[in-house]
Amino acid sequence: MQGPAIHVENLSLSLGASLILKNMSFSIAAGALHCFAGPNGGGKTSTARCLLGQMPHTGKIRFDNSSPQITAYVPQLIEMERTLPLTIDNFLTLITQDKPAFMSTKKTAKLLIDSALEITGLTSKRKYMIGSLSGGERQRLLFAQALIPTPTFLVLDEPMTSLDEGGSQLFESLIMQMHASGTTVLWINHDLEQVQRLAQTVTIIDKIVVAHGPVNSTLTPAMQRGVFTKHIEEAA
Amino acid sequence: MSVFYTWLRELITQLAISGTVPRILFYEFVINALFCAIIIGPLLGCVGTMIVAKRMAFFSQAVGNAALTGVAIGVLIGESYTAPYLSMFTFCIVFGILLNYTKSRTRMSTDALIGVFLSISLAIGASLVLFVSARVNTHILESVMFGSILTVNDLDMNVLLAVAAITLLVGLPLYNRMLLASLNASLAQVRGIQVQLIEYVFIVLVTIITVACVKIIGAVLVEALLLIPAAAARNLSRGLGSFVYNTMIISTLSCFGGILIPMQYDIPVPSGGAIVLVAAAFFIITTIIRNVIPGFKEAKM
Repeated sequence: MQGPAIHVENLSLSLGASLILKNMSFSIAAGALHCFAGPNGGGKTSTARCLLGQMPHTGKIRFDNSSPQITAYVPQLIEMERTLPLTIDNFLTLITQDKPAFMSTKKTAKLLIDSALEITGLTSKRKYMIGSLSGGERQRLLFAQALIPTPTFLVLDEPMTSLDEGGSQLFESLIMQMHASGTTVLWINHDLEQVQRLAQTVTIIDKIVVAHGPVNSTLTPAMQRGVFTKHIEEAA
Repeated sequence: MSVFYTWLRELITQLAISGTVPRILFYEFVINALFCAIIIGPLLGCVGTMIVAKRMAFFSQAVGNAALTGVAIGVLIGESYTAPYLSMFTFCIVFGILLNYTKSRTRMSTDALIGVFLSISLAIGASLVLFVSARVNTHILESVMFGSILTVNDLDMNVLLAVAAITLLVGLPLYNRMLLASLNASLAQVRGIQVQLIEYVFIVLVTIITVACVKIIGAVLVEALLLIPAAAARNLSRGLGSFVYNTMIISTLSCFGGILIPMQYDIPVPSGGAIVLVAAAFFIITTIIRNVIPGFKEAKM
């Protein structure tokens, strides 16, 4: 299995009167572990959502696939449904089979769900209602759903914000495993130390592509100071 | 279908005469009403769980109001005023689609937008009904709002059966996708679900269900049966399966109870009101159970 290569040309995005992204062009290699970094409000999530086809953008986005593309998305920590009595099991059944989730879970679906729960350490909590989960548990669930089916293109939007030390290490090793198996990983990550340690390539986004390329030559100390302190200076 | 209905009614009447089933089932209108209840109960129960998930509690009320306009238009173009299904379905589907179209183009929350449409549809409906009521001299407003499950005929049952079949064939295979789309549209889209399209499908389903039920149990009662059983079942459910099945059971029992209890005990309450009261009793009982039995308690905030 090999994930897609992604080519972005002149990507722009305006929402209402505000210009969110301007003339962005970059490429991500097939099977790469690529990070988006940049200041808050710089447009990292918007760029990722353009790639997912969820934004009214202009410009070209091309995916080069050698095998059928399976996309998975781990969104930023979201508030989970509190009205419905929906358990972790129900939620994963919902995305795994066509048969209504209030009926029984098919055997094939159950195997996939069991494995995703095992991997993310949620097996003992499978009967918990999703509305009552802690931040870290919700993030584990969002990661678990991304494993069904095994994706060739994985988009992660700050998946570690609420995780404890053990959770962070678990997610890190899972992401590295998926990368090793050929999945193209696009990871929005604030933790520059982690980006430097794990990613191959990085795009620094602040409305435009500030810098793009291999991590070592792109995420230089000068760049880090320049981009990430700009907003602090502006505020001052 | 009429042959089937006749056969069914004769069979049950015979059983009532021989004492196998309660004597009350001797009457044709009671059998018709129970036949509707057996379809409407599970149908509205199941759809109600989705209505709650999508926070569209008052949508069916808005469609019910739109049905008023539908009836008025039907009278104006010469349809039978007792069953103007063509006008009702056409107008209400257009109304539902228009509401959904507007929803995806404003930043308003769903409940506020439904409120706007609800008021508009009631105003148009009430105005038109006043205008046409001079022609047909009937209480259209009352019959649309409160229906009459004891006067249903074969055509009403056919329409209901057809709508139930469509809902089963279209709604069940799409159930998971509809629910995921309402839980998180972004996740649903990534999984290849056409979120917008599926919203329209749901809107049209709820619309045709409401219209099919308006003549039988009335717009107000459709609303009640979509919400109260789901609310009652929510009190006692610890998962999606028990929630949906409990809702369907409570909804069906409410219909049966509402029809049979007043007849059996000679209580002078119309069946429509009685159905809601039975459902409300379920809600009160389950709320008490939830607050008394420790196993059901959840965080308050």
